[in-house]
Amino acid sequence: MAPSEVALRALYVLTFGTVLLLVLVPISALLYGSFRTTAPGQAGGEWTLANYANLASEGVVNTIWTTLWIGLVSAAVCIVVGTALALIIHRTDFRWPRIMTVLIGLAFYFPSFIVAMAWIIMGSPGGVVNAILRDALGIEWLEVDIYSAWGIVYVTVLHQVPFVYLTVRGPIIHMDATYEEAARAAGARPAQVMRRVTLPLLGYSLLSSFILVFVLSIEQFAVPALIGIPGQVTMLATQLYLLVRFTPVDYGLAAAVGLALSAITGAAICAQRLITKAGRLTTVTGKAGRVAPIPLGRWRPAANLFCFGFITLALLLPMVILLYTSVLRWFTANPFAGIYTWRNYVFMWDSASTWASFWNTLLVSGVGAALGVALGLLCSWFTLRVRPPGHRWLDFAVVLPFGVPGIVIGLGLLWSYAFLPLPLYGTLAVIVIAFVTRFLPYATETVGGQMVQIDRSLEEAAWVAGANRLRAARRILLPLVAPSVQGAYFLLFMAFFREISAAILLYAADTKVISIAIWSFFEQANWGQASALSVAATAVIFLVLLVIGWLVPAGRRF
Amino acid sequence: MGIAVRDLSRHYGPVVAIGGVTFDIPDGEFVSLLGPSGCGKTTTLRCIAGLEDPTGGVISVDGRVVSAPADGVLVPAHERRLGMVFQSYAVWPHMTVRENVAFPLSVRGIGAAEAGRAVDDALRTVGMAHLAERHPSQLSGGQQQRVALARAIVGHPRVLLFDEPLSNLDAKLREGMRGEIRRLQRRLGVAAVYVTHDREEALSMSDRVIVMEAGRIAQIGTPKELYRRPRSRFVADFVGKVGLIELRRDEGGWRAADGTPIRAESGEASGAQAIGAVRPENIHLHPGAGATMEGANRLSGRIAEAQYLGPFTEYVVEAAGATLRSYAQLDLEPGAEVTLAIAPDDIVLLPAE
Repeated sequence: MAPSEVALRALYVLTFGTVLLLVLVPISALLYGSFRTTAPGQAGGEWTLANYANLASEGVVNTIWTTLWIGLVSAAVCIVVGTALALIIHRTDFRWPRIMTVLIGLAFYFPSFIVAMAWIIMGSPGGVVNAILRDALGIEWLEVDIYSAWGIVYVTVLHQVPFVYLTVRGPIIHMDATYEEAARAAGARPAQVMRRVTLPLLGYSLLSSFILVFVLSIEQFAVPALIGIPGQVTMLATQLYLLVRFTPVDYGLAAAVGLALSAITGAAICAQRLITKAGRLTTVTGKAGRVAPIPLGRWRPAANLFCFGFITLALLLPMVILLYTSVLRWFTANPFAGIYTWRNYVFMWDSASTWASFWNTLLVSGVGAALGVALGLLCSWFTLRVRPPGHRWLDFAVVLPFGVPGIVIGLGLLWSYAFLPLPLYGTLAVIVIAFVTRFLPYATETVGGQMVQIDRSLEEAAWVAGANRLRAARRILLPLVAPSVQGAYFLLFMAFFREISAAILLYAADTKVISIAIWSFFEQANWGQASALSVAATAVIFLVLLVIGWLVPAGRRF
Repeated sequence: MGIAVRDLSRHYGPVVAIGGVTFDIPDGEFVSLLGPSGCGKTTTLRCIAGLEDPTGGVISVDGRVVSAPADGVLVPAHERRLGMVFQSYAVWPHMTVRENVAFPLSVRGIGAAEAGRAVDDALRTVGMAHLAERHPSQLSGGQQQRVALARAIVGHPRVLLFDEPLSNLDAKLREGMRGEIRRLQRRLGVAAVYVTHDREEALSMSDRVIVMEAGRIAQIGTPKELYRRPRSRFVADFVGKVGLIELRRDEGGWRAADGTPIRAESGEASGAQAIGAVRPENIHLHPGAGATMEGANRLSGRIAEAQYLGPFTEYVVEAAGATLRSYAQLDLEPGAEVTLAIAPDDIVLLPAE
């Protein structure tokens, strides 16, 4: 065999092995744990099926129902609001499409736990909203309580709508204009075109987006934990956390709950993939056309209120509240009664542990994202281009974490590394492993999405010209997918920066990341510190977004 | 030396893409693979290039066996030293014209000075020297195809492969490029394989044409042989417009379906049935029952359709129980009665299927 062939094989084995290790280790640990009476690694456990039987207990069944209805309602509201935003911004003569796109982009990257914290400060029984209702407006009969299932739905919707907007925007912009023009020519009024042609054509995209938002809503951890635990509304993800962290602990049941949650999300993801496959045949062609925008007319004020109202609730108001809380000595809903101070920022600046968590985060995000993208790039190359024996299994292993919630991966890894004789427990490495596993599908989707669009003959021409496969990949394919590699890096960097669910069970005192640090302060009811740190973290996120905005156009030269 | 292909086959599971194809192309010869899509012509070319792995047979390039699955021989594409031009041009968008053309030399470790001279030579040959520092996105389709051509010839390959290289160009440019590719190949004196589904392209450029059908060779011959003496209904139909008359043999010779006696002097047909194939330009139309040529077959017919094309009119004529096409400079109306004269030598007998 030629040396280049040997190198290619070695690389394949290495890639495949890494992915298998990343994916199979936590899942097997979880499966194993679900059949044991004690946590893996603890002495004296026995085999049992009781954990699965306990899934049918009243408490868990209630949790499953709560999880499902919160997921479905959140997803439904998100789809309506997100699609409405996209249609207003891209299909009508709305005046500020650019600024809205930027603001929704910022809201997309605004961490959900920060939105949740801000709305807790505003919407808790002693919070700002109730103070305004009672003291300023004198309304006694109405009291808002964020600590409820509807509170979870509310914050989830605020956080996920930008995701819906971003997924349906593409189909809306790229929809073949001739379909709508044909409807107009057939005599349909703009509203009829929208209802009878545009929306049905978007059907598959909307359904696919609905399922994804449903999955994101039921697998999320931070929002149901911050709002639901005080309000005693339990979803599957928080149930798992409570079973592991608080007495009475039940590790076996936690594993079974994790697997049940994964089964729901996994099934939903499968359905979503089938729908996208079917939808590709019918809906949208590649060519973008300019359709005449629909005039808003007398609906303009309503459309403006809707768009900017949403951004106010999802982004501006939470930011203002956090800034406000971060400069208060003691929290008060009345800004005129507040005692203002910089001490939260001073404390943050002087605190070694805060700096440590910042550096940890930069290390985990910066280096971890690079590792994740490198692995994702190799996986995409092997599954899409080289296609050696077994590449289908590699593809399957890579997308598997897509259906596994972060906290479930966290639990699996917690057990595997407590169990295995590897010195990884309580290190930053295990957090990097958790994040890479969880977000590997994001990297392969981004890079693979561009790779399939690059004409095969570009590589074939290089082979005919005398370059072997590795060399052709390095000199031809890699430069051509560079923009998506860069995009995937930023995507993972931002995801790692904000992630809580996969880290919450894995962090140790000296491996706290910034999201966990904020979480801890908030749990200790130290709203001032939590707010100051949130302001700093948000500033970093928006700064990185600025850098991306400045770098990415440079990456799209061709 | 050129290319020798022996009993080449390529199966995808139960699907046969190529089922036993054999041909030789000596140095200096330009051969087209012609056929409808899915006939196996592109797969054959890609097997020669090493981009696809044959399941059987032997391919030799320049005297060296590059593929013989039965003996476990499979030389990868990058070691075959071929020049290839792709349908999509496959000019790398992230490299300048010069970098594109220099690539085959640089991956083979040829020094910068020598490579530079060779690249300049190749670019001059295709008339692109003045655009050497451009990026492909700044070039037209025709210019990109020239870059692809320069890249294919820069390493002095013994064999040039073309995969429908002109199908993405507009009609006018295409005709110019046909001549250029042919001149270039003659000057280099290399064997060339040219895949196309365009019969005009194949007929006008090639020394020989290989017509393929369903993974097999239907006929190999010079363009004139294929056009004038096709050996099957498929080839007759694929290389040009043709009228087909169903014939059956009786004591006196061949007769058409309506009983008209037909004399045919070329082609070979055994058995009681055959098809007589006639090209439109060999059917001479006369209005009414007018005089006809000496010694020609005489058929009476009726004009069914007429398409005025400028230099001549293409008529669809119903005659001898068949639908025939004829080019004529006469002006006739649909429905008009005509007499058709066809020289016996212009009716090619084909086996009935």
